[in-house]
Amino acid sequence: MHHELLVMLLADSRLPVAGHTQSGTVEAALAHGLTTHDVPAYLQTRLRSVTLVEAGTAVVARHVTRAGGRPDDVDRAWAARTPSPALRQASRGQGRALKHLAGKLWPEALVPLVGLAAPSRATVLGTVAGHLGLGPGSLARLIGYDDVQTVCSAVLKLAPLDPAVASGWVAAALPEVAALADQVADLTVPDRIPAVGCPQIEVWAEAHAVTSRRLFRA
Amino acid sequence: MPDHSPDSHTAAPSAAPSAAPSAAPSASPSGRPLRVGVCGPVGTGKSSIIATLCRELAPTLELAVVTNDIYTDEDARFLRSAGVLDAQRIRAVETGACPHTAIRDDITANLLTVEELEEEYPALDLVLVESGGDNLTATFSPALVDAQIFVLDVAGGGDVARKGGPGIERADLLVVNKTDLAPYVGVDVARMISDASAVRSTRPVIGLSRTDRASIADLLAWVSTTLDRHRSGVLVPQDPGPMARHVHAHQH
Repeated sequence: MHHELLVMLLADSRLPVAGHTQSGTVEAALAHGLTTHDVPAYLQTRLRSVTLVEAGTAVVARHVTRAGGRPDDVDRAWAARTPSPALRQASRGQGRALKHLAGKLWPEALVPLVGLAAPSRATVLGTVAGHLGLGPGSLARLIGYDDVQTVCSAVLKLAPLDPAVASGWVAAALPEVAALADQVADLTVPDRIPAVGCPQIEVWAEAHAVTSRRLFRA
Repeated sequence: MPDHSPDSHTAAPSAAPSAAPSAAPSASPSGRPLRVGVCGPVGTGKSSIIATLCRELAPTLELAVVTNDIYTDEDARFLRSAGVLDAQRIRAVETGACPHTAIRDDITANLLTVEELEEEYPALDLVLVESGGDNLTATFSPALVDAQIFVLDVAGGGDVARKGGPGIERADLLVVNKTDLAPYVGVDVARMISDASAVRSTRPVIGLSRTDRASIADLLAWVSTTLDRHRSGVLVPQDPGPMARHVHAHQH
């Protein structure tokens, strides 16, 4: 299978993995004072913190599982670098959604995950990407790109905005996505996964988890 | 999905179905509870119908509910506060302002929540999935529910049923709700139900009111029959479809 096409499939918001339920915490951010003017900076902050952790985790999970290992330590390393329970829960929910789909499309891809309770989305995506033969750079770019699109498409539902403006934000963030991929593509061991939290995003994520008025799960 | 199979739990062997919904040992061939979707436009009474079903069925059946609210967990809270079901058995799913997507083209969030409830409560007989109120074209994917109820109400206007649409025409059950309001909104209920029946061929229509016990009995009888069909393995999920039915001579 052509790798570029597989990346397109995995990056497509029409992939049924409940992507429409996620906002990349931007719903909470907007509710707590972030303005649409700040969104490009918010994207950059994510790509240098929580999304960098996610991409690093996925790349190492890919490497470990392609070498025949299990990603348990990778998933633990991710959890240790994700101090917000709300963010961990959101990622595990997305991991479960992706497992659900992958179990139908590529059941063999999930073999390394058997017995691993509630793996993160990064762990599952890295494992699946390894099975599909995607390279670490493609995988990291996929995670960065998906994060940017998740935030921007959620902002369109939350704030008055010309959709072309949101697409412009995505386009402008692409160099940062590429830089993120360069930073993590060569990682092979859990200890080297970047440990860069973003306390403000974590606080917003926690606040979002307990509100009774929200469009998005997280 | 090896560790989340809805088929992983075992249930006791099937007993003969009775006339009333019964919690008698009742494994369906699928090994999981009946999943019934309730959809229809905003404000037609979906939550209220689910509360009624819970109140009436909870004494004899193991139930759980998944709600899909647009902007709040209002529906889940309404059901929890109604006290008709253990609050832990009522889960809200956020849809990112996409209620139609969540029941139709990306059912993941709902399906995983249904499966989570089925794992936590292995004795469940029935899981009710309430869609976020959407438009007349929104119907459940047959991959999410085994049967679906489409809900209209008389206050929405007597001509809605005649206009048709996939849910009105082909949902397993059409409920015309709040019949007790008909005199106040100038709607002829009998006419509305006959209009609906005309576009539904032999599929059932129930004119429902919380104050009309006979209508509630009709609703419970439909659930009972549907549950029996699920348990005996003859219930095949039917897709009302998003568009007018058309027939292809070939497979896509």
